[in-house]
Amino acid sequence: MGIHNAVKNIKSISAYQVIQFVIGALFIGYILWRLNEILRVNPIYGPDTWMRFAIAGLILGSVYALIAIGYTLVYGILFMINFAHGEIMMIGAFGGYFVFEALNAIPTPTAADPELTFLSAQPVISVLLAFIVGMSVSALSGYFLEKIAYRPLRSAPRLVPLISAIGASIFLQNAGQLLFGAQRRDYLNPEVLTRGNGWEFPVGEGTVILPYTGALTFVLSFLILIGLFTLVQRTRLGRAMRAVAENKPVAALMGVDVDGVISRTFIISGAMAGAAGVMWGIHLGLVYYFVGFIPGIKAFTAAVLGGIGNIPGAMLGGFFLGIVEAIGPPILGLSFQLKDVIAFGILVLVLIFRPTGIMGEVLTEEKV
Amino acid sequence: MKKRLVVLFSVLVIASMALSACGPGASKAPEACTEDPLGCAVIEKGQTIKIGMGAPMTGEYAAFGIDISQGASLAVKDAGQFEGFSFELVSEDDGGSPEGGASVANKLVSDPSVVAIAGHIFSGATLAAIPIYEKAGLPMLSPSATNPDLTAQGSKVFNRVVFTDATQGKFAASYLVDTLGISKLAVMHDGQAYGQGLAEVVRDEFGVLGGEVVAFEAITPGESDYSAALADIAAQGPEAIYYGGYAADAVVIVNQMSQADLGDVLFFGCDGTFGEDFVERTGDNGEGAYGTSLIPPASDAKTTFDAAYLETYGEEAGKLSPYTWSAYDSAAALIVAIESVAIVGKDGNLYVPRTAAVEAVRGIDGYVGLTGNVTCDAIGECASSGPTFYIVEGGDWVEAK
Repeated sequence: MGIHNAVKNIKSISAYQVIQFVIGALFIGYILWRLNEILRVNPIYGPDTWMRFAIAGLILGSVYALIAIGYTLVYGILFMINFAHGEIMMIGAFGGYFVFEALNAIPTPTAADPELTFLSAQPVISVLLAFIVGMSVSALSGYFLEKIAYRPLRSAPRLVPLISAIGASIFLQNAGQLLFGAQRRDYLNPEVLTRGNGWEFPVGEGTVILPYTGALTFVLSFLILIGLFTLVQRTRLGRAMRAVAENKPVAALMGVDVDGVISRTFIISGAMAGAAGVMWGIHLGLVYYFVGFIPGIKAFTAAVLGGIGNIPGAMLGGFFLGIVEAIGPPILGLSFQLKDVIAFGILVLVLIFRPTGIMGEVLTEEKV
Repeated sequence: MKKRLVVLFSVLVIASMALSACGPGASKAPEACTEDPLGCAVIEKGQTIKIGMGAPMTGEYAAFGIDISQGASLAVKDAGQFEGFSFELVSEDDGGSPEGGASVANKLVSDPSVVAIAGHIFSGATLAAIPIYEKAGLPMLSPSATNPDLTAQGSKVFNRVVFTDATQGKFAASYLVDTLGISKLAVMHDGQAYGQGLAEVVRDEFGVLGGEVVAFEAITPGESDYSAALADIAAQGPEAIYYGGYAADAVVIVNQMSQADLGDVLFFGCDGTFGEDFVERTGDNGEGAYGTSLIPPASDAKTTFDAAYLETYGEEAGKLSPYTWSAYDSAAALIVAIESVAIVGKDGNLYVPRTAAVEAVRGIDGYVGLTGNVTCDAIGECASSGPTFYIVEGGDWVEAK
């Protein structure tokens, strides 16, 4: 009986593995053929163009990573997808926007430039203030979101808070439209950070620009990611978070304030979304009530790609998705309209080989 | 419903009695309604004559819907009273999508006091709505749906006061070749009915005129980052980029062009990208960009309208979208056409024979609106004037020579 079952198992596994292998071989073969085609046979892109693709992908990826962390942290602790996370980012973007607008209203005239405002005179302080305010309002929104939309449903079946999350997302979008209007607004950056300005360096036949705003986004998000990783791994709060993620009742018995830890998790993920929102505004210059929706969906994809619940996985997934979106279409020779198709296609492929994501932990019965 | 039938029947009886008593000419209303294969719109005493509109009032392109309904509302206000009935604009949110267009149309045809449709706004939503209005006999006069196919389907009810994308595309291609001397063009669009339709006309026409189209690329509208797609286009070395789509996305593209080494490349937009919004939000990046517009030349009527718009909505006309003026013309021309066929019945109700109304709108001839002369041809093209090209100079749109 036991032997019979074991044989059956081996047979079914190997059939599945054959399918996996064929799909994988076909895909890798296709990619290699395309790479050969685009790099050697018909090189329509110079090194400068590839460089531009890479820069665009890395900057976008760093923002995705920052947002994806929020999904992963909340999932790790509550096993729910916080679909309103993109809207939390939108709130943070607006926070930074209003700080810049307010600072631009403070005149600090000098002899050389009588029209100078505080915003351009003190860019470091201005940017710092924008991040502090953006992160604070997002953190607060995250805190209240959990209190109002999720805490009352803590013991409900798992689908219920998910639906509540979608409702909260729609509510926040519409609240944003009512509060801030339907029009798209432009981030008024300090003069140093004018969009399009950057370090220019020659690559191949062209000149590649690394925009200051992009560099700021990339470096800052990297620092925040390292900070978060340290927080989770090295501090008391981080240990409590990990304990709650592992087993809530036991953590509570050990004296961990479970509700408090969950609240703080939402505050941290909110603050990171807020930082992402301000970066989005500074680098891409666009803010309106719907601005969080697409990055939210993309970051959720990144979190799943990296293995939801896993912090380094979310970071990796974010960068991976950003880069695939930028260089996927040219490598496959497709229109940029199809970049989402490529990104989600890669997601499907990754999930075929690793159902838990690139760095995903194996979900135990208990967690599922 | 039954009650209404009883009322209608008693109206008929009374009217026929009146006819026999006073001879012919006393009241034609019921007869016109029974003769009309689609019947009448009935506006009971005390109700308003409703002009319907399907527009994106929420979502990404809400600015268009809000602006267009505001422009049309002013026309409704200016129309005043007709035989003791006042007009009302009913703007329903169709989200700009085909699904929304169809559901709004179904909602509007179910209301017997809706007599005409000033819309829809987006071409995709309009295309989905036309068959529904066709069945119900509601004349349409769109201020902004410009896809060429819309009038090519033999619809009796659909008309528009804007020039078509085909006209605009041809004008734009020849302007690029003849006036600006461009020989290598990249064409981009947002993959929507309006943008793609326009972009395809420009691509084909530009090729016919002897130019080379080096790239034809679609983007996903509503995103904030097109720098990778622009880097791809930069690798093809175009002299100009033509974009078919709306200002919201055009602004993002223009602002990111310099990062992709496209800083010296000319940006040529369409009437969807034209507007204050574009200038304001592109700043220095937008200098030298071209646009196409249906903004009418200055006139007394336009000055009056602009002042009324500013007073009513606290915002300058044209700031939210360039369709304000054609929205006003659309509603105003519809009202004139409806008034020409509406009949007050003996019972004090207002009757608008459906088929007659459809014919009256198609027959609009020589109506002088804000956008110029409105005269509908056999397929429902009512704009007599072509597009005007503008260029951004010193932070403002000026007419390009």
